[in-house]
Amino acid sequence: MYRLGVDVGGTFTDFALLAGASGEIRVHKRLTTPDDPSTAVLAGIEALTREQGCAPSEIGDLVHGTTLVTNAVIERRGGRTGQLTTAGFRDLLTIGKEQRYDMWDLRLGFPEPIVPRPRRREVAERVLHTGEVETPLDLDGAVSAVEDLVREEGIDALAICLLHAYANPAHEKAVAEAVAARFPDLYLSLSSEVSPFMWEFERFTTTTVNAYTQPLADRYLARLEDGLHALGFTGAFRLMTSSGGAAAPATARRFPVRLIESGPAAGALMCAILGQRLDQPDLLSFDMGGTTTKGALIIDHRPMRQDSLEIARVHGFKKGSGLPLKIPVIDMIEIGSGGGGIARVDQRGLIRVGPESAGADPGPACYGRDGAAATLTDANLALGYLDPGFFLGGTMALDAAAADGAIQATLAAPLALTATRAGWGVHETVNEDVVRAFRVHAAERGIDHRRCAMVAFGGSGPVHAARIARKLKIARVVYPAGAGVMSAIGLLACPISYEIIRSDKRALADLDGAGFAAKFADLAAEAAGYLQAAGVAAADVQLDRRLDMRYRGQGYEVEVVLPPEVDPADALARLEALFEDAYEAVFAMRGLPRGLEIVNWKLAASGPMPAIAETGYRLVARAGDENATARKGTRQVYFPETGPLDCPVFDRYALAAGDEVAGPALVEERESTCLIGPGDRLWVDAMGNLVAEIGGEGE
Amino acid sequence: MRDFDSVELGIMWDRLVSIVDEIVSALVRSAFSTNTKYAGDLSCVLFDAQGNSLSQGTFSQPSFTGTAPPTLRHMLARFPPETLVPGDVLITNDPWMGTGHLFDVNVMRPVFRGERLVGYTISVTHLPDIGGLGFGTGASDVYQEGIQIPINKLYRAGELNEELLEMVLANVRLRDMVSGDIMANVTCNEVGGRALLEFMDEYGLDDLAPLATAIIRQTEQTMRAAIAEIPDGVYRNEIEAEAIEGNVTLAVTVTVAGSDITLDYAGTGPAVPYGINVPLCYTRAYTNYAVKTLTIPEVPNNEGAGNPITLRAPENSILNAQPPFPTGGRHVIGHFVAPLVFGALADVLPERVPAESGMMTQVNYFGTRPDGEAFSSILFSAGGYGALEGMDGWATVSAPGNMINVPVEVWESEIGVTYLHKRLHPDSGGAGEYRGGTGQDMLIRNDTGNPLTLSCFAGRTEVAPKGHLGGHPGGRRELQVNGEIVHPKGRYVLAPGDVMRTLEAGGGGVGDPRKRTADALRRDIAEGFLTPEAARTLHGRDEG
Repeated sequence: MYRLGVDVGGTFTDFALLAGASGEIRVHKRLTTPDDPSTAVLAGIEALTREQGCAPSEIGDLVHGTTLVTNAVIERRGGRTGQLTTAGFRDLLTIGKEQRYDMWDLRLGFPEPIVPRPRRREVAERVLHTGEVETPLDLDGAVSAVEDLVREEGIDALAICLLHAYANPAHEKAVAEAVAARFPDLYLSLSSEVSPFMWEFERFTTTTVNAYTQPLADRYLARLEDGLHALGFTGAFRLMTSSGGAAAPATARRFPVRLIESGPAAGALMCAILGQRLDQPDLLSFDMGGTTTKGALIIDHRPMRQDSLEIARVHGFKKGSGLPLKIPVIDMIEIGSGGGGIARVDQRGLIRVGPESAGADPGPACYGRDGAAATLTDANLALGYLDPGFFLGGTMALDAAAADGAIQATLAAPLALTATRAGWGVHETVNEDVVRAFRVHAAERGIDHRRCAMVAFGGSGPVHAARIARKLKIARVVYPAGAGVMSAIGLLACPISYEIIRSDKRALADLDGAGFAAKFADLAAEAAGYLQAAGVAAADVQLDRRLDMRYRGQGYEVEVVLPPEVDPADALARLEALFEDAYEAVFAMRGLPRGLEIVNWKLAASGPMPAIAETGYRLVARAGDENATARKGTRQVYFPETGPLDCPVFDRYALAAGDEVAGPALVEERESTCLIGPGDRLWVDAMGNLVAEIGGEGE
Repeated sequence: MRDFDSVELGIMWDRLVSIVDEIVSALVRSAFSTNTKYAGDLSCVLFDAQGNSLSQGTFSQPSFTGTAPPTLRHMLARFPPETLVPGDVLITNDPWMGTGHLFDVNVMRPVFRGERLVGYTISVTHLPDIGGLGFGTGASDVYQEGIQIPINKLYRAGELNEELLEMVLANVRLRDMVSGDIMANVTCNEVGGRALLEFMDEYGLDDLAPLATAIIRQTEQTMRAAIAEIPDGVYRNEIEAEAIEGNVTLAVTVTVAGSDITLDYAGTGPAVPYGINVPLCYTRAYTNYAVKTLTIPEVPNNEGAGNPITLRAPENSILNAQPPFPTGGRHVIGHFVAPLVFGALADVLPERVPAESGMMTQVNYFGTRPDGEAFSSILFSAGGYGALEGMDGWATVSAPGNMINVPVEVWESEIGVTYLHKRLHPDSGGAGEYRGGTGQDMLIRNDTGNPLTLSCFAGRTEVAPKGHLGGHPGGRRELQVNGEIVHPKGRYVLAPGDVMRTLEAGGGGVGDPRKRTADALRRDIAEGFLTPEAARTLHGRDEG
């Protein structure tokens, strides 16, 4: 039996096919087909299975990750989404948090609400914070408001966002039922299901993002499932979620917001596994794809996690300038810098790159599809970092003249620079953007990034990693085998899981062991349903129970982990001590004379870890690799320290364990190119990873 | 002395900012009053052993820009460094040594590395009560405003000064909440000290002084270079702010000479017998804030940013009130210092200076919840932000104060009131080529089952936020109780079922309204910023 990981990015779709227990992985990469991403997925499966000499029917399970959802939000390409909310509160999405996230900056940027005001409607109803109904639901009014949205605004998805629905979801459910009966094709997202948290702005934003991406996710998954079926695939189909676990397709279609960082989450997971095998407990993962860059910190072999994230930041990637989502995630930073990022001259007369991306179609100018904009990939080509004849292993020719032309026309001419200088400006601007974002991310978590090693992957990551590491004073960069398809490989290493976080404020003193255990039992039953739908046997389900707790009267919580070996009914008696320990670890103080309360109940249910997480993997050599010569030749490459020089080019597939290369050098593989600068050096380790030591004094 | 290259300096400097951010986070997360835990009415600052401020929390109030360094100096004058021992914690709420009113408690903890004093951290939060008349503007002297805590040790070598704490708690209404917040201040400084020591160990620093010197020098140089770019000259501005009875004139003369800037508030009206007078420390905070935002907004704040600034204000003017003038609501006047300074420099920095903002309303809620627990918490609601050249003002974004709104769901569950609506207040943004930000309209009902006392602090009810470069002023603010317009600085008791409404002021516009594009007007109408009627009357256009 085979296992397949497929990661659909904004620009490329990556594949990793694992052959049974051998640990051998065959990889594949092709352009994403933005009009219908399933086209590329299906074509890739056909090509890869043909190459492997197996049939799609021999694939036992397929795990899918994607940034499609994220990109749809960043580029605002989701559905026509409506919102139905409590009467009197239509403007909450515009009003926002009423705060300047940087008090010194007089020209802040804030994101536009996902649902513009004309597509928001109110319904008479009111639930109080106690869950009591103060004003009964005007169901007819709700249905006619939605009717109006469908007729007048042409919405295809609806976010139902009522106040205090986390405490009592009855009105949201009643509206959903009536609307579903009247408009069976309308996609519905309920705030009480998507993100059952207090704090309306965050909950409503999460729910509107879910609704906004539902049509796209649903249509895509339907097409993909049909296509897989037609290929003869009969195995299990699962979707990676943002928190590092996989879910069944039905779950993903209801909650596409949970897929929002799924591809990158898989990449971070893979880095952690790699770190175990390399004995590097602390890592900074750096994944630069065609549209965005992601970073995650792996500390002591574990990716850092969060209950919330902010996406689609609009103001210099600053915290507070994006859309806040309340969902369980691997703690990742996302930056709008990628190979397809469009470079332009901004109002200050300086080069700015992204976040707008040329995507796959038309793509960068060098793709030769009439893309007029100069992108990062065009700059990297013009600087000699990429080989026009060996992009995607030579399967896609790049048009160097088109890249030069676009840089000349859109940047060099208006700025009165040489084309080389302009190209360098694009490359270096992106480096600086990434460096700044990573530094802030690490500092906010109290982590000194310099003690981390960097793992560089994604199609463009290895081109930029060495210089970014140098700026960050990171001494070592690992370019894993399969760096261009790291997330796809990571998909093979994630367990099936489902996480629930629910607000339900309870004083500790009011709980008894049985009631406490029953609350978790309810959550466990709900989560187990999702797991069983994904094919996990009940006996294999592992539960992780956590609570957000605080002293009564506080506004924020400390997370308390219930010991897995203790029965929940017995754990209640130990909660106070567990809380005090956790509180002291954070605040250096314990034992305030106040009662305790539980605010959020959190449960993660997961199936077994796949074997590959333990055993590691080996990439399959491809036909012709054994005849390759390590040194392919030289080409002219620009470095700011030296100007253009003849730089040796190596073939990664011909390098053997123990080989060493001194910088400056290029090491090419099909999906990516690793660039090291003067003073750097790299060698090949026993697993086929390239390991670079960043030399010199840095900048 | 050790030198730092730019990479090293950048990394360590960022780290010092992140340490203070960690202090803020510990404070917010362990506090009990809503204004600390949700609204961001706080500040934390880190100092070297010489008392130079090195970093301030990213999330902070402008009103605390530069108040902590003098607070620390006053504390060290009372308890010299050589008398401090590990485990000491100092406290004061002196309005003139702290942040301008009794409600803000300043808590300082020296950081010792072994036996050696290496730095200090200070946290400042607004307590839910401080005794006296309660939060409001009604006092005629500072003694009526509550209990004064002279600079004192709250902890002596790790031992709680129980007599002092009991003395304070016996004089306040919400002793549990007040004691919880005071302890949160102690806790967060403990966390900060721990983080600072870890940082010093990691980098092998015995002393912060070389790093401090580098940071302060770099900041001051950057600031001086930015001031030097402003043409030398004398720039004046005068505005009217609503006092309790009639308006008061606030005046400033800004003198730019090379890389120095002097702000003289001569011409400002006298202090008044109501709790809206501003001690000089608070005037300085907003002065420094205004100058820094116009010059070096991107550089993290520290001692160096204040060095090029000289400030003068006539004694016992409303911007330099002396004891025993009451100061409880000093912010309702003090917030005007920022637009006053901005206005003075508007002609010389037209592209940087925003039109005046709608500011915000603060209402202190004091009462008893349905479950019998007493509370005293502040609800902040933002007006519209002033437009800038090339940019519309944001709706419901407050300036210069930077409080966060408490979510509707949270406020209802903490207080027991019910919001009947919270929505935009259309047409409140000043018309212009670039529209001023829109204010909001909130209606809240007392469902606590008990009388609810509301103390209001708001301006912009008579004097509208000015536009800039031909833009129109923003709309004025209005406060109503049960439909009747009330004084914006009054105190009202809502019976169960009574309602309070706040209509927030909009920001001023920038540029000629006739130049606003048709697309922009259509969008304004669709997004609820403008009514079609106002599009006709203000812009002379029919875009409905």
